[in-house]
Amino acid sequence: MLSCMLRSACALGVISLLSTPVQAASIESQIQPLAQSSLLLDIAPAGDTLVSVGERGHVLVLDGDEWQQVETPVNSLLTKLFFLNDKLGWAVGHDATILHTQDGGQSWQKQMQSKELEKPFLDVLFFNDKEGVAIGAYGLFYRSLDSGQTWTEEFHSELLFEEDVDYLNDLKSQDEQLYLDERAYLLPHFNRILPLSDGRLLLLGELGMVAVSSDKGKTFDALDFVYDGSMFNAIELGDRIYLMGLRGHLFSTDSELSEFTQIELPVSATVNGATQTRDGNVWFVGNAGMVLKMSPDGEISELEKRQGESLVSIIQDKDGRVWLSGTSGVVQLQGE
Amino acid sequence: MLEKLVNGFESFLFRRRAAVIVLFALITVFLGYQASQLRMDAAFVKNIPLKHEYMQTYLKHQQEFGGANNIMVAVQDTSGNIFNPEFFDTLRKVHDQLFFIPGVDRSLVKSLYSPSTRFTEVVEDGFAGGPVIPADFANTTAGLEIVRNNIEKAGIVGRQIAEDYSAAMVTAQLMDFDPQTGEPLDTIAFAEQLEKELRAQYETDEIKIHIIGFAKMAGDVADGAKGVVLFFLIAILITAVMVYFFSHSVVLTLLPLVCSLIAVIWQLGLLTVVGFGLDPMSILVPFLVFAIGVSHGVQMINSVRRRVLDGQQTKAAAASAFRALLVPGGVALLSDTVGFLTLLAIDIGIIRELAISASLGVAVIILTNLVLLPLLISYTNLKQDKLGVDVNRDAKVQKIWQSLSKFATPKYAVVVLGVTAVLYAAGLQQANKMKIGDLHAGAPALHQDSRYNQDTFFITDHFSITTDVMTVIVEAFPEACTYHEVLTQIDEFEWLAANTPGVESSASLASVAKKVNAGFNEGNPKWQLLPRTTASLVQAIGRVPTSSGLLNSDCSVMPVYLFLEDHKAETIEVVVDKVKELSAKMDNDQLKFKLASGPVGVMAATNEAVAEAQLPMMIYVYGAVFVLCLISFRSLRATIAVIVPLYVVSTLAQALMTQLQIGLAVSTLPVIALGVGIGVDYGIYILSTMSAKLKDGMVVQQAYLEALMERGSAVIFTGLTLAIGVSTWFFSALKFQMDMGILLTFMFLVNMLGAIIILPALAAVFWRKPKV
Repeated sequence: MLSCMLRSACALGVISLLSTPVQAASIESQIQPLAQSSLLLDIAPAGDTLVSVGERGHVLVLDGDEWQQVETPVNSLLTKLFFLNDKLGWAVGHDATILHTQDGGQSWQKQMQSKELEKPFLDVLFFNDKEGVAIGAYGLFYRSLDSGQTWTEEFHSELLFEEDVDYLNDLKSQDEQLYLDERAYLLPHFNRILPLSDGRLLLLGELGMVAVSSDKGKTFDALDFVYDGSMFNAIELGDRIYLMGLRGHLFSTDSELSEFTQIELPVSATVNGATQTRDGNVWFVGNAGMVLKMSPDGEISELEKRQGESLVSIIQDKDGRVWLSGTSGVVQLQGE
Repeated sequence: MLEKLVNGFESFLFRRRAAVIVLFALITVFLGYQASQLRMDAAFVKNIPLKHEYMQTYLKHQQEFGGANNIMVAVQDTSGNIFNPEFFDTLRKVHDQLFFIPGVDRSLVKSLYSPSTRFTEVVEDGFAGGPVIPADFANTTAGLEIVRNNIEKAGIVGRQIAEDYSAAMVTAQLMDFDPQTGEPLDTIAFAEQLEKELRAQYETDEIKIHIIGFAKMAGDVADGAKGVVLFFLIAILITAVMVYFFSHSVVLTLLPLVCSLIAVIWQLGLLTVVGFGLDPMSILVPFLVFAIGVSHGVQMINSVRRRVLDGQQTKAAAASAFRALLVPGGVALLSDTVGFLTLLAIDIGIIRELAISASLGVAVIILTNLVLLPLLISYTNLKQDKLGVDVNRDAKVQKIWQSLSKFATPKYAVVVLGVTAVLYAAGLQQANKMKIGDLHAGAPALHQDSRYNQDTFFITDHFSITTDVMTVIVEAFPEACTYHEVLTQIDEFEWLAANTPGVESSASLASVAKKVNAGFNEGNPKWQLLPRTTASLVQAIGRVPTSSGLLNSDCSVMPVYLFLEDHKAETIEVVVDKVKELSAKMDNDQLKFKLASGPVGVMAATNEAVAEAQLPMMIYVYGAVFVLCLISFRSLRATIAVIVPLYVVSTLAQALMTQLQIGLAVSTLPVIALGVGIGVDYGIYILSTMSAKLKDGMVVQQAYLEALMERGSAVIFTGLTLAIGVSTWFFSALKFQMDMGILLTFMFLVNMLGAIIILPALAAVFWRKPKV
């Protein structure tokens, strides 16, 4: 319960913040020469090109060999990108920010932002050009049915821990306000929502949370997972699904999600992202500058250690180049 | 009236010449003793413009964040890999040794071995961490493997460890004053200790010690400056040989040299008397005093010799030479003195010292070479037949004077002035491109291949940080760092400043707090930002100790460190402009971004002070020369005729600096003023002869011809002799001495040419119609 109390205390910090005597800095992103080497947290394909997002509202679009920074109406840290097709895309991030593009990432409009919420979105997914969900810290879950024009919050109480359910019920009868304050911080962070090929949704989160939904995320079933550290990402490759998380924890499972097998890694750093390149190799990137290669026969080797960086995302572009992004920006993977 | 006064002096001094000479001898003994007590002295604060706005900020926060006077010792393993027990053993010893050298601020010695070098890592239930070298460290292969892992977790590669793991860094801040005794730090002794107690003791074939920082640089400059003595001797020899050829007399050779050396002794002695040391940067002043002394001494012996050749007795010749030269020589030397004194207007300690020592030196020449020299000569018995012939009677020389005198005819004058105007225009265009500050990487006072600069290049190549740091001080209010908006502004400032060309990397409390916040969120880079909740923010900042230099104890002051590619003037200027632009935009009642601390902050202030000082200095120097010439010639035309050539030469010298990529810096700024001081001598000697004759109604060409016959050979001779003497500096171990050598050679030569070519041409234009 200690962590809950702390979270509530954290929330109270808002009050003192609002009395800050200093003016706020600028609110839009600024085009700067070093944007490409700023903190960039995701790269996603938009048609033939790639788009990357990160700190200070930075969005960059790959143009030939160059990453061009484009303007956005926010300066918040953007965490994740999703493109439905080569034109329509969404980017989410801190300050509960949701941006939308209709031209493949060249221009962006703000659909939602709430600094007061003090929670980041960490992933976004659209099922079609109308309906999508955005998820984030402390069980943050919003849904839109109109391409993101309006967003409605959902509270997934089914993912609360059992003891927290009792605690909340007690609280609800005593103090409605405190109940709402506490509830806002009781769910684990939702780190990743992944559509599986069979139409189900896989939700990964804090404290070993792995859940599945068969109804576009209206309800989730939490799985009995083998590890209680945070899980950050997953990738479906053929009939296998790989789940990755804190401190070198990588699990493999079948499409039924019935049994999780841990895969030993040569490095014990957190695994943040993965991709499969056309040659059949699977790549994992993570903290401590880790780049791992898993060959089709399942052998894993550490390819590179990028000193002092944490890597979050990896992807191959249409020309076969592999790009990495993380705390030192977006770079091409050399010497494959 | 002036003439009466001079005659009065003459009879007064020459009647008591024995007593006067004894007095001179006594003073020389006293000041000689004082000079023997002179110490080399290089203090960091002398090199900075203390009143400059940046330096006020620097001084205000020096206590809390250390200053710009730091020292970096890189310990390199030549095998390319530091992870072996011998290396760590040496590194520990170097750390301990540096810690105990007096003058080092012990709380700010940093290396792998300092307890403040810590790592943190994220584990399932929070943070784990500790010193990079654990308390139970065993210097074994296994122990080193732990250290290697900790180093990676600590994120100190590039700062405390070379990027290729071939070296480790020990850094320290120096204190300008000993906290116990209050004595200023003896920088040169400190540098010697570094050399003896670190380099000599620990450098082996396997381990190399690279040391950089102001103190080491000053020490190396002082070492190189010792070579100046050799150059001094060479210059004296060359001068002696040349003077002998000029005078055909051993006595007339020795006396001006002896008198000039007496001037140097007096000057050095007076430095001790007024409480100065000899700064390595102004080591050249004694030579300059000697050179100027010789210049006037040669005029004196020339004058005596001509009179003896004309049949006068030595004593009478000396007395009449004294009468003839006291006024022009005195005016010239006073112009020099005042010219050098104008350097006092510059708010940089070392230039002020130079101003005082140079003007003292020049002032004493009035006594030694205009008074003592003729008195000494009067005791000799020069024989007319042993002095050779008067060069002026030589047909060839006559021809030269005849040809030169044509410059004083309107026809040639127009050509000369036309060429001068073109040269001036071209020179001015180049001079305007003259750069302020240091134009090269490394220490500009030393050659690129010097050990110090090689060490600098090693460190720049292998580490991501150098001493080229500019610190912007953010002044806020107590507990400011607990406000998200404050840190956000610092973060934004840092980001925008980091995007300036020339900035390689940056650091601030904001950027570190972001990383710590990611750490608190399981090391997830998606949380690498400044949390909006105060509690989380405080939690993140709480992990940053004040020893990091990122905040003071109540976090009302938070510096932003900008690591630059180099300290070239342009680089600094671009960054300074950007910082000013940003602070103009972002400063408000509670938050101020202030320039500047760190070595580059100091350089920025120095560059600005030098740039600002340049124009006033020129105005003062020329103003002084103008007024003195006006008083002595009582003619505006004569004054202009003396000053214009000087001014053209100054401009050309600046153009030369542009061409040779010599920046206007603390070491080169005085050269222009010194050059004017030296150059004015020639013009004054020539014109003082001419103006009397012109007043008598003589035609310009004739007046000039007679001036040449009387003083021309001495002027040309002096210019050549001094130029040859200084040109040997070209081989100096010190880059700045080489630069000065080039510039002074140019000044000596071209000013001489100006006086015998441009000056008569101007005179031809100014005195077109002789007085009837």
